[in-house]
Amino acid sequence: MAISIYETKLRNFLIFFSLLTLLTVALFVVHISIGPAMIDPILVFQTLFGLSPNPQKVVVNVVSLRLTRALATVLTGAALALAGLLMQTITRNPLADPYIFGLSSTALTFVALGVIFAPSLMVYRHYIIAVAFLGALSGYILTALLSRLGGGSDISMVLAGIAVASLFSGLSHVLLYIVQSMLRSPYVYFLLGSTTTVLQREIPLMTELLAVSTFASLLLIKPLNAYLYGDSYAKQLGFEPKYIRYVGAFIASLLTAVIVSYVGIVGFVGLVAPHIARFLVGSNHLFSMPITILVGASIALAADIIVKLISMYVGAIAELPLGVVTSIIGAPFLAYLIIKRLRE
Amino acid sequence: MKLVIDGVEVYYNSIPALRGASFEAQGGEVVAVIGPNGAGKTTLLRAIASIVKPLRGAIYIDGRLVNSVPPKERGKLIALVEPSISRSIPSSVLEFLLTARYPYSKLYSFTPSKRDLEVIDIIAKKLNITHLLNRRLDELSSGEFQRVLIARALIQEPRVLLLDEPTAFLDIKYRLEVMELVRYVTKEQRIISITAIHDVYLASLYADKVVLLSNGVIVAAGKPEDVFREELIENVYGVKVQILNIGDRRIVIPIQLLNNGQPT
Repeated sequence: MAISIYETKLRNFLIFFSLLTLLTVALFVVHISIGPAMIDPILVFQTLFGLSPNPQKVVVNVVSLRLTRALATVLTGAALALAGLLMQTITRNPLADPYIFGLSSTALTFVALGVIFAPSLMVYRHYIIAVAFLGALSGYILTALLSRLGGGSDISMVLAGIAVASLFSGLSHVLLYIVQSMLRSPYVYFLLGSTTTVLQREIPLMTELLAVSTFASLLLIKPLNAYLYGDSYAKQLGFEPKYIRYVGAFIASLLTAVIVSYVGIVGFVGLVAPHIARFLVGSNHLFSMPITILVGASIALAADIIVKLISMYVGAIAELPLGVVTSIIGAPFLAYLIIKRLRE
Repeated sequence: MKLVIDGVEVYYNSIPALRGASFEAQGGEVVAVIGPNGAGKTTLLRAIASIVKPLRGAIYIDGRLVNSVPPKERGKLIALVEPSISRSIPSSVLEFLLTARYPYSKLYSFTPSKRDLEVIDIIAKKLNITHLLNRRLDELSSGEFQRVLIARALIQEPRVLLLDEPTAFLDIKYRLEVMELVRYVTKEQRIISITAIHDVYLASLYADKVVLLSNGVIVAAGKPEDVFREELIENVYGVKVQILNIGDRRIVIPIQLLNNGQPT
């Protein structure tokens, strides 16, 4: 019985994993094909994977120009989704997300402060990421402390997070407005959650950091599974819950910091993706972690496709930030989760 | 198989929860830990499971100091069933039960072995939860949930099985069933089971050895006939009891509050 159930689970996982990989690739191709000059998705696919019989120079150029943004979007979605899953597990709170719990806003505030007070240092991405990391970690600690004051329930944690997130997102906007006068770059472009600003040479570092974080998270699979059922439960099986929490918060903060320092704030991907993943393959992190990453990448790509379409049809000067669209998708989902939770 | 608890003292923020607790248990013994609320029953179990560290004293299993056993190794020796686990992230019964096999899995093997799943199947059948394996933990009834919790501990195949209030929230049938099961497993596998239990009557039905706690101190420990004495129980609980001899068992029946039934 247990054997057959486990085998079904495993098979489901493999099926969903392949389907979602296909979906991600498809969205990736469509994402690149959309733009002022529309390119046939099939041509894009052929060019991307070097299958084109007679490559046209125009297509190759356009694809390589648009590739960076598409990659940045994939990495954003994947990183935030993984951060969300880790946060939901280490707080044992299904409402956790780097944005809702204030990590993104504090990271952004720290980055803006860094640019204002040490502009010469902030030229280097490493420093920006380090500063953003400290910001994200402080945001997490602040939310955790506030929620403990409020009794430590699921909802109190969300409310504490919303308080922290609102305060620091307001603060970061003011600071970014000041930064804008220093950098002479349009305010809306700077780290407000748009993947258009990522440069091609920045992709490798983003990828490396995400890969390292993913690898570290994969090593945590068993401790995280045991941790789900309580501190003393994990302890009985030989895992130290305190360290799981520290390492989890560290990785989630790092992932958030990377995205904030390249892209800015993109909310709710980290909330929604783990829920979809658990719905599809259950809560075992061995299955839910890869699925969460793929779902996150797909959501981000889909949202960015919407961003592209809106800006094409409205024809305004700058594009909408990606974070706006993910909020519109994610916030109703949060509302649904809160209502469900309060009813129980 | 021998468990020795020697002068264990536990403090929570300098408040003593357990003082100088000592007793011994042998393989195959069903030990009941009784005592009023806050007497230190849970603390005693948590100390044995190394969830809390004693300030003084030591716990030995077959001569090995439990605190010096590597954590993962300890998972094969001791399992503690607490009255509840966190269920805030939805997960299925099987997912939960699979975690109980982690002490037996290699550090970097992520999938369960064939034996892991076989053990789960055998225990699930024994506890009549096979049909629940695919269900979500937060959808179970109290009785089903309690059986799943106990199944988890048995799947861990411990040498010392600790149960904290395994019969709370259960109806009479399941209470007896849980205790029968604990006794059966204890005898069959020659392990030691220690059950912290409020229900003195239930303890008197099943225990081979009884530990009576009051205010963090072991007042009496030993065979049921040594502990289940009217004046002792009445002193500790402030409840008038009657002790009936049914078969070879001394059954404790609470009758009324002392001081003429007036609540203190």
